[in-house]
Amino acid sequence: MENAVNDAGAGAQALTATVIAVGPPGRLDDPAATLGQLTSTAAIRGILIRYGTHAEPPTRTSERFVTLDGLRPEYINNAVAALRLSSLPSIVWWRGGDEADLEGLAALADRIILDVEEPLPVWRAAVPLVERTSLGDLRWTRLTRWRALMAHFFDIAEVRAAAPLFHRLDITGADLPAAGLFAAWLTGALQTSERMHVDLQRTTGAPIQRIRVGNGREELMLELAPNGTCVHTAAHVEGHARAHRTVSLGDQSTTALLAEELRIRSRDAAFEAALRRVVEARSDET
Amino acid sequence: MAGNPLNDGLRIEPTPGNATLVIFGASGDLTRRKLLPALYRLSRGHRLPARFSAIGIARTNMDDEGFRKQFRDSLREFAGVEPGDDIARSLAAHLYYLSGELDDPAVYQRLTARLQEIDGADGVLFYLAIPPSVYGTVIRQLGAAGLGGRTSEGWRRIIVEKPFGTDLTTARALNAEVHRHFEEEQVFRIDHFLGKETVQNLLVFRFANGMFEPIWNRRYIDHVQITGAETVGVERRAAYYEGAGALRDMVQNHLMQLMTLVAMEPPIAFTAESVRDRKIDVLLSAQPLVNNGRPNVVRAQYAAGWVAGSEVPGYCREPGVNGSSTTETYVALRMQLDSWRWAGVPFYLRTGKRLPKRTTEIAIQFKQPPLQVFKAASPSSVSPNLLVINVQPDEGISLRFEAKVPATRMQLAPVMMNFRYGTAFGGPVPEAYETLLLDAMLGDPTLFARHDFVEASWTLITPVHEAWRAEAAAALPQYEAGEWGPKEADAPMAADGRRWRTL
Repeated sequence: MENAVNDAGAGAQALTATVIAVGPPGRLDDPAATLGQLTSTAAIRGILIRYGTHAEPPTRTSERFVTLDGLRPEYINNAVAALRLSSLPSIVWWRGGDEADLEGLAALADRIILDVEEPLPVWRAAVPLVERTSLGDLRWTRLTRWRALMAHFFDIAEVRAAAPLFHRLDITGADLPAAGLFAAWLTGALQTSERMHVDLQRTTGAPIQRIRVGNGREELMLELAPNGTCVHTAAHVEGHARAHRTVSLGDQSTTALLAEELRIRSRDAAFEAALRRVVEARSDET
Repeated sequence: MAGNPLNDGLRIEPTPGNATLVIFGASGDLTRRKLLPALYRLSRGHRLPARFSAIGIARTNMDDEGFRKQFRDSLREFAGVEPGDDIARSLAAHLYYLSGELDDPAVYQRLTARLQEIDGADGVLFYLAIPPSVYGTVIRQLGAAGLGGRTSEGWRRIIVEKPFGTDLTTARALNAEVHRHFEEEQVFRIDHFLGKETVQNLLVFRFANGMFEPIWNRRYIDHVQITGAETVGVERRAAYYEGAGALRDMVQNHLMQLMTLVAMEPPIAFTAESVRDRKIDVLLSAQPLVNNGRPNVVRAQYAAGWVAGSEVPGYCREPGVNGSSTTETYVALRMQLDSWRWAGVPFYLRTGKRLPKRTTEIAIQFKQPPLQVFKAASPSSVSPNLLVINVQPDEGISLRFEAKVPATRMQLAPVMMNFRYGTAFGGPVPEAYETLLLDAMLGDPTLFARHDFVEASWTLITPVHEAWRAEAAAALPQYEAGEWGPKEADAPMAADGRRWRTL
């Protein structure tokens, strides 16, 4: 006989992941707020590990949030191993530290999301890890909308027909590593790495300001609108009417980007390929 | 370059090829409340094709600018979008409007000309957001104008809103009319319930998890309750609802769809035809709802009462309703499936207007353990395991099981484990109309009703209406608005030793 109670409301919530933010103290203020927000709006456990000098750092624990303040970096693997739950996917949000630690974390984490200011050394360390864990980068997540908008152009047959003639790619923005990642993805996907002249210009303001690809006569352009939340798109290609559109860039907040990452568990072949190309292209840099 | 090389590995879900959407009934409620906001949200999520246009058609005298203003107004009213929003402005520039009578061939000539002016569309999607009485007219006119059927100029598809017919005869006639001008692959019969995440997730839940399917049968499941409860009354839909009633409005489509998703056998693949083949099997296995001329369906009509703190009139006092109407606003029925999996497991379906709470759910109640080991710890019977699939408003899944209450002595209590779509993945859940519009543009009919499903469901429902017509009108029970239906609905459950869930 059915109980005459309303039993659909309260109860323990089904969790979807453990998110572990790792990094030096100065790099974890924003993640602390983001994780705090996500644990209250999304079904995750949040763990924040600040590097420091303690073998047994002070720990604060609430129902779905654990903070370790001042852990010696060499113990990071032990801490993650102890705090992760075998029944939940573990996602490490890497905000900086010794790149050598990534290898140990790759054995423990189902996914590692990179998020550092100077990414090249981390990217170099990450390339060999792609076979062992699923890798991501918040820079790449931020590019998702830009990539989708560029891909949208190539749904048009005339644009695909003109693509072999494109030989110039200009990207301006404040985040040159992100611009480089975009260029590596686009030239790789179009197989135009050899003939494409890529020009990345640093500006102030938004990470990506404008992307133009073309051949002088024909051009595809994505440009951030003055409001910073939309992108103007324009395709000038022979044989079809000019297409102009304004579309949303989507929520680019760290919380939204991380939430987007939480939906992905599998390997991202496009990112891995772009990452390899960027690392190879800059192999001569120290 | 044949395909789009940039789509490989793109996390964004697929976008359709360039398309034009033609909305018949462009000034109506459905367009303003659902379709235009859905288009806006699709555009915001850049799920619309690179070249997308929409042409609205209705009797209302309006030009392109008027339609664009209606678009902005509906976004403000139903999607909370501020005037001056860049995406709305950009999308509005691709909206056009034609006014005219839907039976006037000149309208379709102008439509043809307008479609030719809008260069570059790979296909055209017609959306019938109009009263069912004019479906046939529009379909015939589209056919006569050469806008139906397959063409070398690109794909043509048509979305038909529910109700698809009013009984088996009219549904068959409408299917025949549609098939005179469109092939079945081009026809998308929409039921917006199927666009909800939880409904789609039902297939994932059942067929992507190894632990549930082995117990998803008569050996472990006691019964299934499917509820579609509304707090609203007939609102401004009296003209339609008077001729429809709850059985046609909710059971024949929404609740039948939910039941088939719960009861279907595993498809051989997640393809439209595989899934739809297995769903139709469920309806074909259902026992008739009328035996010896007597319908096994409880019907009732709401009387005056209180809902959410407001006094509301009875159905017969609603504007536009016949004062002596016998239209049912509540139905409850017991469905029995003659299949290997479900023999002996009743599916109880109920729906009503002016109930205390707006909720749609599927509750699967499991059988009790064979032996009450904890009888001493739980003097009243142990609560059976219960799996609740919430379809609306809070989409999600809950599982109830017994647990030991922390104490030195053994004491049991039911606890719930909840999964909520709204929070689990930390992102927005798409509205049903977004999903379905997109699927139609992509040409994926999985979430749409096939002609045989419609006819099979009417085969079950039509005899009930015929039996009701033969009954005396005085037999129609009433329930007070704000209550969970009439007491007559409890009797069939009680006869089975069960009762409706209190939601």
